[in-house]
Amino acid sequence: MKKTMVIDLDRCIGCYSCEMACKMENDVALGVYYNKVLTIGPMGTYPDIQQYQLPTICQQCYNPTCVDVCPTGASFKAADGTVMVDKELCIGCKYCMMACPYGARSYNAEQKVVEKCTLCAHLTAVGEKPACVKVCCSKCRFFGDIDDPNSEVAKVLKEAGAENIHSLPDRGNHPSVKYILHRKTAQWQDLPPKETWRTPHQSGKKEEKRHG
Amino acid sequence: MDSEFSLVFFTAFVDLGCGLFIALAINEWYSFSETVKQRGAIATLVALALGGFSSVLHLGHPERIFGALGHPTSGIFIESSMIGITGICVIAYLYALQRNASKQTLKTITLVGAITAAILAFAVGDSYVMGARPAWDTLTLPFVYLASALLMGALAYAALLVEPNALMIQKMKRLVQALVVVQAIAIIAYLVALSSAPYSDASRSASSVLFGGFAMLFWVGIVIIGLVVPFGLVYSQSKNDGAVALSNAPFALGLMCAFVGAAVYRVIMFNLGTTVWQFF
Repeated sequence: MKKTMVIDLDRCIGCYSCEMACKMENDVALGVYYNKVLTIGPMGTYPDIQQYQLPTICQQCYNPTCVDVCPTGASFKAADGTVMVDKELCIGCKYCMMACPYGARSYNAEQKVVEKCTLCAHLTAVGEKPACVKVCCSKCRFFGDIDDPNSEVAKVLKEAGAENIHSLPDRGNHPSVKYILHRKTAQWQDLPPKETWRTPHQSGKKEEKRHG
Repeated sequence: MDSEFSLVFFTAFVDLGCGLFIALAINEWYSFSETVKQRGAIATLVALALGGFSSVLHLGHPERIFGALGHPTSGIFIESSMIGITGICVIAYLYALQRNASKQTLKTITLVGAITAAILAFAVGDSYVMGARPAWDTLTLPFVYLASALLMGALAYAALLVEPNALMIQKMKRLVQALVVVQAIAIIAYLVALSSAPYSDASRSASSVLFGGFAMLFWVGIVIIGLVVPFGLVYSQSKNDGAVALSNAPFALGLMCAFVGAAVYRVIMFNLGTTVWQFF
């Protein structure tokens, strides 16, 4: 079993309601995100330009490096395949934050522990869907067991076709979150495009620091 | 990511302690100096304690650290256990010195301690080798840590010598110069690995270290203060005669410079450690 999320980027309109719903549902601190919608692009030269929205969350990896490095077992894989953090065991060493290729984890300065998207485990445990899935007005988010061929996520992926299914860069962690993006909408970018008028922060690209 | 100064000082002090104890082990096996043993062991303990204290400052909940005992494959477990074992060896060495233990006993204790110290000096760098951060995903990184441990250890050992004779000064001078060269080679190897790291990005490029935003820190902090000055200070030893030539003050000054160089390297390393794709 592997509970995860499939996000149809052809449908995403970039309304940021998933971001807001996530922060409200999980009481995420100001300036911290479990879920953030990035703007990828615009790329190309006018009039041949393209752009898409990329909702980012913990990628619920099959081989989570954050779990491997955790010294206390606070980060663990649950029975349903989701990657979780037991805040009672976390020592706040931030090692898992270093081991995540996407910076999907955040440090809770008040509780002095690391936290991240749990796919709203408190909601899914009682049969509900994650808050971001429930609130999505364009119905681009799908949640379920990707290993179950009868699940909604499996059906959506089958319908999209293999050539239109994408994942974020894999550094041996094997991300399970899948993105659907057809070429007619935009060209999938394996990494944040370097040439765009977006600020690095908006496009999910860390700003270069100045020293000396 | 940010500079993480608590980890900078943790790794720098631990490497200093490790290097010094390795030097003490060599001293014990080859019987170079009797007077440096006790003060060297105490200095090792102080360095390890300062490193351990710095690491605790990094933790959000240090009171839960014993949870790490259940997960022996994590980097923090390896570091903690190696600090513990090395510390025990140093204390045992001090106790054995106090009790005038046999030469063989002292050799055995220092050999075990030196092995764990070498593992520890490497492990504190190896913990950062991870695919998530391309600038760290190279084995040259822990070798830079190990090289800095050996350099700082040799300098600390030479600085702690009591009234060293000319022959000893000469030996230490050559050793330190060789270790400066080793450290420089390790840093060059790291920069080569950095330039060929996957997912190239301006935030973690070798050019940003050599000519960009980190250039001032690199050239002044690592190259001049961390390498050239210790090499030059020791080199000047051989140019003089008499009382000045027998002084180990240049080694002490060289140690301070090497420590600054080691700390600056770690600061740059942390700042180069950007993820493949930073979401937030």
